[in-house]
Amino acid sequence: MTARVRAARSSRRPAETPFRLPPQPGEVIDRSRLVPFDWDGRRYVGFAGDTITSALAAAGVRTFSRSFKYSRPRGILTASALDPGCTVQVGDEPNVRASARRLAAGMSVVPQNVWPTLRYDLRSVNKVVAPFLTAGFYYKTFMSPRPLWPAYERVLSRFASGGWTSPDAIPSYYDQRFTHPDVLVAGGGPAGMAAAVEAARAGARVLLVEEEHELGGSLRWGGAQELEALGRLRADVAQAGIEVLVDSVVAGRYDDNWISIAQRGLPDVTERLIKARAGILVVAPGLIERPYVFAGNDLPGVMLSTAVRRLIDLYAVAPGSRAVVLSANAEGDAAAADLDRVGVEVVRVLDARRGEDVRRALGRGTLSAVEVADGSRIDCDLLVTATGWTAPTSLLNMAGNQPVWDPLAARFRPGEGLPDTVLATGGIVGDGSVDELVAHGTATGALAAARAGFGSAAVVAPLSPHPHPALFRATTHGFVDFPEDVSSKDVMAAAAEGYDSSELVKRYTTATMGPTQGKLETVNTVAVLAEATGRSIEELGTTVWRPPYAPISLGALAGRVSPPARYSPMQPWHETHSAVPLVAGEWIRPDSYGDPAAEVRAVRSAVGIIDVTPLGKLALHGPDVPNLLAAAYVNKWAKLDVGSVRYGVMCAEDGVILDDGVTGRLGAARYLMSTTSSGAATVWQHLESLLQTEHPDWRVHITPMTTAYASINIAGPRSRELLTRLTDVDLSADAFPYMRVRTGRIADVADCVLWRIGFTGELSYEIHVPASYGLHVWEALLERGRDLGVRPFGVEAQRILRLEKGHLIVAQDTDGLTKAYDAGLGDLVKLDKDDFVGKPELLWQHEDGAQQSLVGLVPVDPSIVPAEGCQIVDGATGILGRITSSRRSPTLDRSICLAYVLKQYAEPDTVVTVRLPDGRRIPATVTPPTHFDPEGARLRG
Amino acid sequence: MADRPVARSAIAPAPPVAVRDGWEVSTRRASGALRLADRSPLAKVLVRADPDGPFADRIGVATGTARRTPANALAASARPGEWLLMGPPGSAGNLADDLGAPDDGELVTVLDVTHGRALMRLTGVRADGVLAKVCGVDLSDRAMPDGSAAGTSVARVATDIVRDDVAGVPSYLLHCERSSGQHLFASLLDAGREFGIDVDGYANS
Repeated sequence: MTARVRAARSSRRPAETPFRLPPQPGEVIDRSRLVPFDWDGRRYVGFAGDTITSALAAAGVRTFSRSFKYSRPRGILTASALDPGCTVQVGDEPNVRASARRLAAGMSVVPQNVWPTLRYDLRSVNKVVAPFLTAGFYYKTFMSPRPLWPAYERVLSRFASGGWTSPDAIPSYYDQRFTHPDVLVAGGGPAGMAAAVEAARAGARVLLVEEEHELGGSLRWGGAQELEALGRLRADVAQAGIEVLVDSVVAGRYDDNWISIAQRGLPDVTERLIKARAGILVVAPGLIERPYVFAGNDLPGVMLSTAVRRLIDLYAVAPGSRAVVLSANAEGDAAAADLDRVGVEVVRVLDARRGEDVRRALGRGTLSAVEVADGSRIDCDLLVTATGWTAPTSLLNMAGNQPVWDPLAARFRPGEGLPDTVLATGGIVGDGSVDELVAHGTATGALAAARAGFGSAAVVAPLSPHPHPALFRATTHGFVDFPEDVSSKDVMAAAAEGYDSSELVKRYTTATMGPTQGKLETVNTVAVLAEATGRSIEELGTTVWRPPYAPISLGALAGRVSPPARYSPMQPWHETHSAVPLVAGEWIRPDSYGDPAAEVRAVRSAVGIIDVTPLGKLALHGPDVPNLLAAAYVNKWAKLDVGSVRYGVMCAEDGVILDDGVTGRLGAARYLMSTTSSGAATVWQHLESLLQTEHPDWRVHITPMTTAYASINIAGPRSRELLTRLTDVDLSADAFPYMRVRTGRIADVADCVLWRIGFTGELSYEIHVPASYGLHVWEALLERGRDLGVRPFGVEAQRILRLEKGHLIVAQDTDGLTKAYDAGLGDLVKLDKDDFVGKPELLWQHEDGAQQSLVGLVPVDPSIVPAEGCQIVDGATGILGRITSSRRSPTLDRSICLAYVLKQYAEPDTVVTVRLPDGRRIPATVTPPTHFDPEGARLRG
Repeated sequence: MADRPVARSAIAPAPPVAVRDGWEVSTRRASGALRLADRSPLAKVLVRADPDGPFADRIGVATGTARRTPANALAASARPGEWLLMGPPGSAGNLADDLGAPDDGELVTVLDVTHGRALMRLTGVRADGVLAKVCGVDLSDRAMPDGSAAGTSVARVATDIVRDDVAGVPSYLLHCERSSGQHLFASLLDAGREFGIDVDGYANS
C-alpha cells in the first residue's frame, strides 16, 4: 500500500494521548505547538520537539515494525537513533529512524516491509519454521542449485527490509561542505562540551558535533543537579564561539584526521556530508546502554533504562502503566525512581547486583508478563533493563586503536596507543560524577588545544571506570542482534559449527551487521561466543569497526550532482539553432543541426563552418621549443619556418599513439600547438613531464590556451571567398598556401590566428579568434556567406567528411595498443632522429614489421553500414580485424569504413568477411584509407 | 559586415543587459549582502618567469599572495613562477607594458588571457561559507587572509582564488579557464542559495 493511499484512508479525528505526562523539568517538547501527522493511516497529534516514536508512544502505540527474518513485532528499545525496531517510511523517504526524527506537520509515516499490515503480517509464519532458519540457513539453502538463484532472489527480496522510493518523488537536496577546525569534538555530553569550551577558550577553532537534537548527553534526562550543570555548560558553549552541529554525527575518521560528518536537520538540505580536516579529534561519544539477552527480550514493552528516562524526562511520555525493573546500576535505579515519580506502578525492582534476574518476557504481540528467575510471574506492560554499557570506540578503532576488555567494568575500553592527533574523554574513558566528567573534558580540551598550537600543555588525570557486574544473558536464550534477528542460540550454533572467532561469527550469523553496526550487539555476541567456546571475552576481542559510524544517505555521499560542463563561446547560438547536443567529455558540442548529410553536401559543394573550440591549444614560448617538439613528436621539427604549420604525431614510451595535431610557428620563439579535443590535458601533462623530469635545462614555457580562442573551421570550395570578405589577411593561394599560418583581423577582431589546413579534405581555414568575440565572428561568417550557401555543420558531419578523406581520429581509429606503424603513419616516424619519446619501441616495430594495417573498407552491398566495432572474420572463428569507423557517405552515396586488418589482408581489392551484430556475415572490399579525392587536389586548391 | 565587435563573457549576463567598455554585461544591482558578480571583462595578463629571477623581483608578488600595484592593478601569484595581472577592461596592453622588458637572457612569457579566463567576484561576510561548500581549501582568515592567492579546485573546476577584500568585507576573485565559467558561476549560486546570494552586475574593478 502506498503512503498516498494510506494517507487518504487516514482518519481525521486524532488519536488520544493517554500516556502523555504533565510537564517535566527537562522536557524538550513545545506544548504550545501542535504537530498533526499520520501513522499507518491514522491521524495523530504530537508536540513540536517530539520524535515520531515519542508522539506515538504518548498515544499508546507500542509496535512500530516487524523484524527482518521472523516478522516479530518490535517497539521502542532505546528511544534513540539506535532504536532497532523503529525504522519507518516517511512519505517517499525510506529507512527513517523514528526515535530520532522529529515530527513535522503533515508527515505521513507508515511501517516498512509489512505484508499486508503491521498488525497482521503474514510473513510471521516464518517463526513457525524458525528452528530451520538458524545461522547459516541462507548460505546453506540458496547457494545451489545455481540456476534457481533468480527465483530465490525474487522471493527473498520480499523479505528484505528497506522501504521504498517512488520514481515520482521530488529529488531531495543533498550537498557537501568542507571545514578545517583546530579541534573537532565528537559528542556533546558533559565531557565533550567541557572539552570544546576549554579548547575554544585557548584560541582554537572548535567544531562540536552531537548526534542528538540538543547538547547535553545524559544530563538532559537527569535530575535538578544535572539540569543545572547542563544549563551552565550550554551557556559556556554559546559564549565560547564554538560552531555546534546537532542532529549530526561523526561518521568516520581517516588518515590525518580527515573526518566525515553527516549533518541533518538543515532547513533546505535533506542531508549534508561535511568533510573536516581537524587538527585534533576529541572522541567523546559517552556510553551506550547494552540490552540484556533473555527469552522475549524483543517484545514491545521491553526497554532499556535510558529509553525510559528519555521518554519520561525529554518527551513527558509514560512508557507503560505497570513496570518491572531489572537494575544493575544507578541508571536503572534512576529509571525506577522516574517511573514511580510520574505515577507508573513499579511492581518490582529486581536488583541484578544481588543476583536477581529475569527468565523470560511473555506476551502475544506486546509484553504482558515477566517470568522472574525464581519462577514467579508478574503481570506488567513494561520491563526495564539496566544491565551494562558499551563504549562506542568506533572512531578510536578507525584511528588504529584496539579496544581492550575491562572485566571490572564489564565493557570494552580504549586500549593503549592513539595518534597524537586523537584524544578521548568522558564515559568512553571512564566513569565519574558530572563534575569529574567535566573536569576530565576540560583537561582534555586544554590538551587538544595545546597540541593544535594554542595554550600551554595540560595534564589529563585518568578517569577510572566503576565496577559493574558482568551481565549479558539470563538463563534463557534471546536476541543478541535485533535488526538482523540473530539470537544467542544462533551464535552458539555457529560456534558449534566451527565459527569460533568474533569475525567469523559476525559473517556467518550477520550479528552486528545491521543498521546499528554492533553498538547494541557486539558485546553480547562476543560474550555468548565466549560462553559457547569456553574462551574469555579478552581473548575473543571485538570485530573491527569501520566507517561509517552511523548510516549516511547515498545522496549525501554524492553531494550536488552537477558534473562540470564546458561550453564554447558560440553555445548560445547553437542552442537557439536546433543543435543536437553531443556530450564529449566535459564539452557540450553540436552533433548536428538536424541533417548531417545535408551539412556534408554543403561543405563539399559550397562552404560550411564548424565550431571546433574544444581543440586543444598550447602556447609554446622559448628558445628550446624545437627541441621539445622534436622530443615529443615522432617527426622532425628543426626546420619549421615562421609562418609554417606541420602535422605531427605523438607516441607514448611504448610507441602507442598518444595524440596528433598541428603546430605552427608564429614568431621566432613563439609557437601554437593544437591537439585533439580530448587530448588537450594529456598532451599538456606529457609535455610538462618531459620538460620537468627529462629536460629541466630546456627553456620553454607552455601555457594552455584552449579556451582563449574560439575556433572555427571554414571548409568548402567557397571558403576562401567567404573568409576574404571578413579579413585583412591575403588569402590567395600564393600568399597563403596550404600548411601555413597567418595572423590578422577577422570581422574587425584583432589578434586572430588563421591556419590553412584541412581535416575535411576541402579547401579550408581554421581560424582562432579571441574567445569573447567568437560569437560575433561566427554570426558574421553566416551573415556574410549567406549568398555563398554557407551553413553550420556539426561533429557528425565532420566525422563523415574526414572518413571520406580517410583521416584517422586518435582514440576512435586507434586504441591503447595502436602503434604508429599499425596506423599507417610509418612515413612520419623519423628513426634517424637522435631521440624522441617512443623511439626504442617504434624501432623494434619497424624492424619486426607491423602486424596490422589501417585500411579503407567498402561493403559489397553499399546500403549496409556495419556498426563500428564489427569484427572482420575468416570462415571459421578467426578474427582478422575490426572496423573502427563507418558511415554512409552522402558524397559517394554508399557505406564506407576504416578498419584494421592483419597485414596479409591489407592489399586493396582483397575481399574480407564482416560479422554484423545480428550475426550476418557480409563481404567487403579492402581499399586505400582515402575514399574521396585521394590526390588532395581540393584541399590544396 | 556585422556590427562593431562586442565581447561576450562565458557567463550569461543577468538582465538587464547593456554594452559597457565594449562588453555585453549585466547592469543588475544586487540587493543582498552576499553578491556574486561576473568580472570577466577585466583585463587579464599572464606572466611566466623564473620565480627566483630578476623579473620575479620586479613584479614583487610572492607565491600565494596578491597585491595592488601603484596603478591599481591586482597582481596575484597562485603558483611559483606564474602571475596574473588584472586591471580595468582594455588595459591588457598597459599591464604588459608596465612590466618592461626582461633582462637579456631571461625567459619571460607575457600573454593576454583576457578572453581565455572567466573571472568572478564573490563578496560578503558569508562568502567563505559559500566557497566551503564547493572548495576544500581552508579559507579562514588565519589560513587565507586578505591578499592571499591559491590554486585549487572549486566545484570540480581548476580555479585560482584570490582574497581581495572590499572595504573590509571578505571578497574573493575566482578565475578559471573560460569554458567552465558558466558552470562555476552556476555552482556558486547554487551553493550560496542558503545564504541569500544575489547576482550583481558590471563594475570595472
